[in-house]
Amino acid sequence: MRIPCPYCGARDAHEFAYLGDATVTRPDPAAPDAEDTFFDYVYLRDNPAGPHSEWWYHASGCRQWVRVARDTRTHAILGTELARKPAGDAA
Amino acid sequence: MTHILDTLPLTRLPAPGSYGRTGAPGVTVALREDVAAATLVARRGAGVRLADVVQARFGLTLSDGPRMAGDDALAVLGTGPGRWLTLAQTRPGLAAELASTLDGLAAVTDQSDANILFEINGPRVLDLLAKGATIDLDPEVFRPGDVAVTAIAHVGVTLWRPGEEIAYRALVARSFAPAFARFLIAGGAEYGIGWSRRG
Repeated sequence: MRIPCPYCGARDAHEFAYLGDATVTRPDPAAPDAEDTFFDYVYLRDNPAGPHSEWWYHASGCRQWVRVARDTRTHAILGTELARKPAGDAA
Repeated sequence: MTHILDTLPLTRLPAPGSYGRTGAPGVTVALREDVAAATLVARRGAGVRLADVVQARFGLTLSDGPRMAGDDALAVLGTGPGRWLTLAQTRPGLAAELASTLDGLAAVTDQSDANILFEINGPRVLDLLAKGATIDLDPEVFRPGDVAVTAIAHVGVTLWRPGEEIAYRALVARSFAPAFARFLIAGGAEYGIGWSRRG
């Protein structure tokens, strides 16, 4: 599987480390229902058959986190974007 | 043919000489330790001013992609968004010079002792690199001035093509350089390797 890194271009998947689901958001630890929402956040995952959004870290390349849209049935990559814009605005 | 690897300690770099097939070498490798290096990371919001100052002071255009600018005297290689590697053969005080010139615009870190530079040339250079690289090095794809931070033979390298010639430079972390050297000698034995060290 090749992942088109927004900075480096198409790279072999073994250059990346996989984190997982990019759709979950860390809950507010001060909220009254924090225990339940953290249980969901840490343990419960959907298992979609089809397009999925996930985090990959380009460890052997530009060392950036990349949000990858991947079809879990075919491994087709539907799109990638950097998790954050460079610190140097439009350098 | 590669008996050298049977006796060479895993932590040592090979001595200058010829390895593998005899005759005209298919690949020549020169190790250089006389190159000053420093990383440049743009401070938040300072990218445009940083590019302006680098242009004005050094005459180099900072690329926002994996491209190089400059030459052996002073080169700037794009290694990530807002990140560059600078290399200089004639400026031993490179990091200090950059740090004072770019104060407030970029974080500058001296890397001169961190890496060893491999200059890899010769008619069979692409055949050898194909044994370890997972990126497309076809000369029409990996063009003059292109840079790739990648892994070759599972060793992290910063690879670039300085010019029109089918020849490459690879910067390898010092402690991984012996492993990378073993890959070059084992993989290049069938083409013949001419090995030298400078600096």
